[in-house]
Amino acid sequence: MKNPPFHYHRPATLDEALALLAEFGDDGKILAGGQSLLPVMALRLGPPAHVIDIGTLEELKSIEVSDTAVTIGAMVRHAEAEHSAEVAEYTPLVAAALPHVGHRAIRNRGTVVGSIAHADSAAEMPAVCLATSATMHLASAEGTRNVAAPDFFQGFFTTAIEPNEILTGVSFPAWGPTTSGTVVEVSRRHGDYAMCGVACALDVADNVINGAALAFFSVASTPVRIAEAENVLLGQAPSEATYQAAADVVTDTLEPEGDIHATAAYRLHLAGVLTRRGLAEAHDRIGVPA
Amino acid sequence: MSSATTDRQSSGLGFVGQRVKRVEDERFLVGEGKFIADLNHEGMLHAAFARSPFAHAKINSIDVAAASRLPGVVKVFTGAELNAVTNPFIPFFTVGGLYTPLYSCMSDDRVRHIGDPVALVVAESRYIAEDALELIEVDYEDLEAIGSIDAALKPGRTQLWEKADGNVLGEFTDTFGDVDEAFNQADRVITKTFDCPRQSNQPMETRGIAVVVDPTTGHLDIHSTSQAPHFKKWAIAAMLVKDSTAASLAKFARNSERRSAFLAAAKDFVAANKEKMAQQDNSGMVSQLKKDPSTMLHQLRMGAGLLAADDYPTVMAADIGGAFGSKGPVAREDVAVAAAASELGRSVQWIEDRVENLLDGGQAREERFTMSVAVDNDGMLKGLRVDAVLDQGAYTGFPVAPALIALLWKVYFPGPYNLDAFEITSKIVTTNKGRVVPYRGPWANETWARERMLDLVAAELGLTPVEIRSRNVMREGVSMPDAFITGPTIDETMSVAKTFDRALEMIDFDQLKRDKADAEGRGHRLGLGIASYHEAAPGPPNFFSSVQPGTDLFVYEDGRAEIGTDGTIRMFTSQSPHGQSHQTTYKQVAADEFGVKMEDVEIVWGDTDRTQFSFLGTGGSRGGPMGGGVMRMTARELRQQVEKVAADMLEASVDDIDIIDGNIHVAGVPSRGISYADVAGKVAADRNITDEPAFMEAMKYEGVGNGGWSVATHVAWVDIDLETGEVEIPRYLVVEDCGPIINPGVVDGQVRGGVAQGIGAVFYERTHYDDNANLMSTTYMDYLVPTAMEIPNIEIEHMETLTEGENDARGTGEGGMIGAPAALTNAVSDALGVQVTEQYLPPYRLLELAGVIEPEK
Repeated sequence: MKNPPFHYHRPATLDEALALLAEFGDDGKILAGGQSLLPVMALRLGPPAHVIDIGTLEELKSIEVSDTAVTIGAMVRHAEAEHSAEVAEYTPLVAAALPHVGHRAIRNRGTVVGSIAHADSAAEMPAVCLATSATMHLASAEGTRNVAAPDFFQGFFTTAIEPNEILTGVSFPAWGPTTSGTVVEVSRRHGDYAMCGVACALDVADNVINGAALAFFSVASTPVRIAEAENVLLGQAPSEATYQAAADVVTDTLEPEGDIHATAAYRLHLAGVLTRRGLAEAHDRIGVPA
Repeated sequence: MSSATTDRQSSGLGFVGQRVKRVEDERFLVGEGKFIADLNHEGMLHAAFARSPFAHAKINSIDVAAASRLPGVVKVFTGAELNAVTNPFIPFFTVGGLYTPLYSCMSDDRVRHIGDPVALVVAESRYIAEDALELIEVDYEDLEAIGSIDAALKPGRTQLWEKADGNVLGEFTDTFGDVDEAFNQADRVITKTFDCPRQSNQPMETRGIAVVVDPTTGHLDIHSTSQAPHFKKWAIAAMLVKDSTAASLAKFARNSERRSAFLAAAKDFVAANKEKMAQQDNSGMVSQLKKDPSTMLHQLRMGAGLLAADDYPTVMAADIGGAFGSKGPVAREDVAVAAAASELGRSVQWIEDRVENLLDGGQAREERFTMSVAVDNDGMLKGLRVDAVLDQGAYTGFPVAPALIALLWKVYFPGPYNLDAFEITSKIVTTNKGRVVPYRGPWANETWARERMLDLVAAELGLTPVEIRSRNVMREGVSMPDAFITGPTIDETMSVAKTFDRALEMIDFDQLKRDKADAEGRGHRLGLGIASYHEAAPGPPNFFSSVQPGTDLFVYEDGRAEIGTDGTIRMFTSQSPHGQSHQTTYKQVAADEFGVKMEDVEIVWGDTDRTQFSFLGTGGSRGGPMGGGVMRMTARELRQQVEKVAADMLEASVDDIDIIDGNIHVAGVPSRGISYADVAGKVAADRNITDEPAFMEAMKYEGVGNGGWSVATHVAWVDIDLETGEVEIPRYLVVEDCGPIINPGVVDGQVRGGVAQGIGAVFYERTHYDDNANLMSTTYMDYLVPTAMEIPNIEIEHMETLTEGENDARGTGEGGMIGAPAALTNAVSDALGVQVTEQYLPPYRLLELAGVIEPEK
């Protein structure tokens, strides 16, 4: 479990980092918090020849709040976002998800954007991106572009990031007072990857559901958002029966696979249970200050 | 700490029995522990093993040329190269009807499990060594793999070992009482099969060995994470013997000094152990030699080589980060690294990484039991038949073979309950999996299966778990015989009933009823499980001969104490501590005996040049009773010697000498006292000694006689979320009796750690091989050890049954792990209203058992 030799680069600016990526392409890999990359390297599972450490890039270290979005830079650690008042106020679903990410020691080093770029389909943050319709900001030596969450997650550990691009930040839409959300999941132990989980959001006014989002993780090769189940909720009053109707659609739609921790049947069952529980919890959080 | 403990000493209370803080903790907590990877010897080379990615395959060829050329690589040894300079592992522990396949430290023509070592790289760093591993080319030819007990039992499948009968290495039966009669007379017979999947001992520190070679003499200083350094020393010495038997014997014959010393020692040994040796059961060696006569040739070569050797390795164990049994055995890696260092004449270390540890660092408990219980309708047990199967993996553990586990079942299975008759047949099967090692209470699955079966029988008869236990448990003065039907004698220390009765008082059954209703209201199910057991800790004198005649040759404990000419007190133990707080508890014991403070006593362990031989080292819950016993007795003896000299110096009678806080004085006149240094100095001056201690005493301790049982009753409350299968343990109670406690904090820690591993066994941990013997749990993402978050508060009620022994503390290291799986699975059964017959219960399985989801096909 020792990594093979690699070239280490520590660019001083984002432009330098992008120039290095342009040079190395597939042979280069961005190091942010290292919570996914370093174990992969230690286990020698396709380790990169060039590691580009963006840890010193000040321009990637901020959480920026605008009228419409909260943007988290690529070097913002999970812990910082977890304790940010702005994140809690404007993007309560992100705030709800963060305590589920790994353990505290992992959150102290790992970055929100790194987790999204890694795109483990069992992780919370990619599902949160889907549920919130987040926007991914990509940069390369040739320029910048934005990618919407549904187009970003393409497969098992596979995203829309090109070899010459860095995911510099992610913008989560700022929510109003009628919207909230939560993450519910079941894992083997505290801090483990979930066997099944859902990031969900509800917009409720005058006891009518005006908006809903359900994005599942650990059920397929990417996080999965189920519009049919969300549509069942729209225009309805929040109730156990409504939530159950959505859950029924979820269990009719998903086709998860089994592994040594969870059988396919168990995962599917959990998806239904967690839909109900998540929606109820999301509703309870509306209007409650974080 | 010193002021509080000094007060205790001065007040005459002593340290034994007090919750004294562990003296080990300071160095561990500030990162100053000396673990094997901390040694950093100058010029040390680093080793890494090339391991098989196949579960079962022929090796057609191996090419290490490219790896050898990598800069920084010193040498790449193929399996064949190391096997040529080492002797094979031969069975140390045999039993009639068993064949133990011989194997070498490396695999050269065939691999038998994922992780089987085929080459060893020695390089300037572990990084470079691992780079070289990627350059080794091995041509494997896949063979059918045996991945389960079922596959191993099936005739006609690919054999792992040519000389075996299929993949069953042995089968042996023991019968006690008239079993047919018991089964014929009983009202009914209830039969059920119980399965326990594979687990793995998971110490925080993995295995490691650092072999330091003296460049001028070739002497090997072997630093090792070993529970039994002395056994490792002799085993490695034997396996590195290169001379032929004839050459060694000729050399031995020429050395008249060595010859006469050996013959004298052998004569003394035979004289002292004649009776025990006559009882020895040699049927195991007979069945071994029938299958593989070469076993004898290897034995002779190694034996003769040891007799003739000019030098033996020194083995040293410093701080060890846990083992739970896995570091008692000598492993193939130990021999390979020692051989590599010896061949190169350079120091080499190997530190196992976690992936290697999960592949072959030690696995345990994959066992199946079909139990038939003959019982009357009133719940009185009459007879028990057990068919047991143990999956030992590919290579038989050394020296403690899985067969020993089966023999312990033979003694323990009926538990603390009265039975007229008992019969057990055990099969040892071989599969393409990692090596089975002892794991904390290696026999513990007998308690699991028995206590589960008791609940099942109770349910069939319309009785409660409490009723069936109450009717059958042995009660002192009522229904306690003088001995178990399996042999070992019993006395008041086998007071399981006392712990059971106390547990019933503490349960609060009314509250339980309310809690169950409350749980149902929340969509949960709450259940209660009870399990009782006894363990030999260390057991009566006839315990080991009940397991196998003759094995009691090894069960004494040696110890030594000395006082330097400066008055320093040193205690030498043959135990090898690895988390059990020996240093603390032995200081407590010795300080009380000597009348000094704990910090005035030094405990020395782990160095085979400084401590006396011990076959077992630390194991078998013997650290308190046996290791502590010999500390107490040697200290007591030395104190008497000191008092004699002091009495002369103080011109008083020995009977009037008192020692408090190291002040040796005439009782009532502390102001005119002298110190240990004064007494030692006087002895040194009188005898004109400088380079040896003023006082020294070595002892062989055989325990306190009859008794020696530790007993407990565990009670688990398990709450299951019927929607998710998530489990909480709202309450866990242990009522235990390990005799007079040396340090309650240490005993609590042992109990809690054992229960934590039991919780792991049932709800989290599984060494998961698929049907083709591919290991699916190779990192901590998939092998789940419970953390502090998963472990509930554990209530512990101590009962301290005293007997008349001088050192009546009994062992407690293994108990927690023995009782917990049974109590927890009984609680799950109660919660779900289903009779569980398997030990591993992850959330999906709980929901399958509850009927919430469909079982996997």
